[in-house]
Amino acid sequence: MTPELKGFLLLAAIKVVVGFGGLLLAVALVTWLERRQAGFHQDRLGPNRVGPKGLFQPIADGIKNFIKEELVPADADKFLFLIAPALVFTPALLLFAVIPFAAPLPVSFDFELPVVGRFVHDGVMPMMVADLPVGLLFVLAISSIGVYGIVLAGWASNSKYSFLGGLRSSAQMVSYEVALGLSVISVFILAGDVTLSGIVENQQQKLWYVFPLALGFALFVVSALAETNRLPFDLPEAESELVFGYHTEYSAMKFAMFFLGEYAALITMAALMATLFFGGWDIPFTTWDESEPSLLKTALTFGAFATKTVFFVFMYIWIRWSLPRFRYDQLMALGWKVLLPAALSYLMLLSGAIWALEQLGIEQGPLYGFILCIVNLPAIYALFWVIDSGRLVFGQRLQRRTMN
Amino acid sequence: MSVESDAAAQITQLLGGRIGASLLLVEQPQPDTLRFEIDPGAVRAAAKALVQDTPARYLITVGIDERPLDRGFAIVHLFSLDSEHLFLALDCAVDSENTRIDAITPIVPGANWAEREFRDAIGVEPEGHPDPRRLMLPDDWPEGVYPLRRDFRYDYHPPSAGNVRPVLREPPKGSSVIPMGPFFPTLEEPAHWRLFVEGEKIVGCDYRGFYNHRAIEKLGDSAMTYDKLPFLAERICGICGFIHSTCCCQALEKAIGIQAPARARYIRTIMLELERIHSHLLWLGIAAHIVGFETLLMQSWRIREPVMWLTEEISGNRKTYGMNCVGGLRRDIPADLTAKIQEVLLPVERELRAVRQAIVGDTTILARTKGVGVLTRQWAEQIAVVGPPARASGIAIDARVDHPYAAYDEVPARICVQEGSDIWARVVVRMDELEESLRLIRAATAAMPGGPIRTEIAEEIPPGRIGISVVEAPRGEAVHFVMTGGDNRPYRWRVRAPTYPNLQAVPAMVQGETVADVPITVGSLDPCFSCTERVEAVDIRNAKTRVYSREELLRMWQEKSAPGGER
Repeated sequence: MTPELKGFLLLAAIKVVVGFGGLLLAVALVTWLERRQAGFHQDRLGPNRVGPKGLFQPIADGIKNFIKEELVPADADKFLFLIAPALVFTPALLLFAVIPFAAPLPVSFDFELPVVGRFVHDGVMPMMVADLPVGLLFVLAISSIGVYGIVLAGWASNSKYSFLGGLRSSAQMVSYEVALGLSVISVFILAGDVTLSGIVENQQQKLWYVFPLALGFALFVVSALAETNRLPFDLPEAESELVFGYHTEYSAMKFAMFFLGEYAALITMAALMATLFFGGWDIPFTTWDESEPSLLKTALTFGAFATKTVFFVFMYIWIRWSLPRFRYDQLMALGWKVLLPAALSYLMLLSGAIWALEQLGIEQGPLYGFILCIVNLPAIYALFWVIDSGRLVFGQRLQRRTMN
Repeated sequence: MSVESDAAAQITQLLGGRIGASLLLVEQPQPDTLRFEIDPGAVRAAAKALVQDTPARYLITVGIDERPLDRGFAIVHLFSLDSEHLFLALDCAVDSENTRIDAITPIVPGANWAEREFRDAIGVEPEGHPDPRRLMLPDDWPEGVYPLRRDFRYDYHPPSAGNVRPVLREPPKGSSVIPMGPFFPTLEEPAHWRLFVEGEKIVGCDYRGFYNHRAIEKLGDSAMTYDKLPFLAERICGICGFIHSTCCCQALEKAIGIQAPARARYIRTIMLELERIHSHLLWLGIAAHIVGFETLLMQSWRIREPVMWLTEEISGNRKTYGMNCVGGLRRDIPADLTAKIQEVLLPVERELRAVRQAIVGDTTILARTKGVGVLTRQWAEQIAVVGPPARASGIAIDARVDHPYAAYDEVPARICVQEGSDIWARVVVRMDELEESLRLIRAATAAMPGGPIRTEIAEEIPPGRIGISVVEAPRGEAVHFVMTGGDNRPYRWRVRAPTYPNLQAVPAMVQGETVADVPITVGSLDPCFSCTERVEAVDIRNAKTRVYSREELLRMWQEKSAPGGER
């Protein structure tokens, strides 16, 4: 093994430990944030007893989950029952591997250790666990695996509630994956690249994609909500009718795995929104971050990335505590009858616009973005008009009259 | 309240024409009560005449063991003639040897549970009943033991009949069963729905409830005296306790022939409306929770809290005020609190408006409730549904208007009616009623006269008098029937909580809906099982981890609930 390879492996190992460790820590903090924020939305305090501001509450919860009794239903398929939580938890973590969370860092070292030998690294280290050439395709592929965990959990529990929850969930996630994938294609078209580092670089140099792809972003947000089973799309769990659906029969750490998986997926989706549409680790209004890699730059861009991600996590929680749950058939209707046609026509519109811009010879830049932005506006209006069915925004006055 | 005597005469004439000599006796013990003694053989014809040829509405059936009075078993069907402010009682004396009577359920579907209940309680068989299964007795209760018979001691615990499973309907071919209950996250109390589904679509359902019967009626007509009865009645329900104690007091006052003083009636009105406000806000929160809208749950319960503090200042308790007694009240509202009521209600009203706007503006709530859980007017009338579900189906009934009690004759209430017949209409009706309650409390506090709050009962209460009283609870109309007895106790006391008829409408409401709609459909009735069943929960503590078989659990339960057993 060459010293260079050993250096690379060492760095990779450190990134895996730091990256996933950080993600798990973030998951714990997000569970705390969710409960505190819900408290503030609801005019109460939320957990504030364990540690400063209740920050150690997740630790207490973790300990509780470890020492609780593990229950396996007598008629359950034991192997599938045990493997299902891992199948939900692992993909949620894996997704984070391809997300660049800061600007590349210059790392040089050359040292020798007894027994293992010499380690050498010289150059720029990308701040992501794995810069895969397939990038975003990896995200789409791995996020589909999570469905298996839920379906298997529902099947293996041998309970009617779990089974229905599992079925609903598979239908829901498969449906929304289509809309999610189509909304991401708009990013591919604009970036001409599927690696996330490439997409970030593109946005950093030109324009955040949220402006030229506003509708694509809206579709992505809605699909991501459904994909992560968050309220208002938490039908698989459906506490009120299915007794928490697929994890009715799970307890202790196996339940905690589902729980952690859900929050890990939440963070990953928030990070994806930041990466795909809001420039990733790009610091807005400066060109300084396009300069040479340095430790300071890496630290500051990580701050920018974290801020954006936390904002989207916050938005997720905000949505959850502001909306009631849809009914299952309404959710499927929204997915297939609204989001899918919307995403398809949006792709056609976008491709047409980009083709026209190329014919006119306009380079990617502010004018290019501005024109695409203008193209998006009527599309957004049309989509919301359809989703609204002339009720909420457009017909509220009418409705108030009928109520009074 | 004066009764137009020609209305009474018309009804008498109609019944006389229909059943002829089977109409044995007509009397009017109180201006608003008309009692017919009829031959049991003519009960179905009489009931048919009432529901088909008059606008009479079925209330409840009371089964009374009158063998000590040499009348066999009395089956009293109560009806209400709302337009004439009149209660009609069809009293049939069933022979004590041949305990059978024609069931009226084929004509009045709303009598379904009531007839099953008297079958359980006093052992009179309703013949021709479409569903003569056990209703309120536990599954292991032995056959042939009837708890509401006079010779059944209130503290007697009959031997168990062993491990008997309830008789439940089997699903139609091709469908499967999803159980909802006996314990379910969105049911606050035990109730077992057996949903028959094809996919997620419901094709039928069966119900087994009455899991924890407290036998309050038995206590009321055996162990308790008149002075204790209102306090027992208050404990029928944790939410609308004051409604039951008021209703019980009013029934007794009617039977005795006294009236509470004006100030007491006004205070009762205020307390009843306060109870409606906090009950509707409680319901709003639970309904929001069922559709996954936790923030509205928290907010509406926060708005509710000052109302509870207010009742605590007035009565000393957030709930279960203990203010009512036969003849009036035990506790007055002091002048400074009268002013404070207005003060507390102002922010409540302001915040209610905000909540209303939030609900109206929410597409998801609309999508979840509009056109869901539809109870057509025709079905609602047949099952004799009461309260907000009835008013949401376009039936303008409200006990405050139909049979004015307390101070509602001087501070009249407005009936809030909606035509939608769906859950949304029920939401709107309750929101309207909240505003109406606020208005009523203002009007009542402004018009409240001074004076005493209690009428003394001068002489001993004679036996054999009946009193029927209704009170519009937040969930609908509560009915109390009292028949006075000797020894300062009632001979029979029958309570019908509003959820009793309303729950019977659930099968009609969920038919063809999806499983996801069932919790909110049941929730839209604001069901209160403890009122309906007059219940209490038994808690089982298991210290060690082990598997209990059904038999073991049953045995443990029997040991614990035996007289003198561990509690």
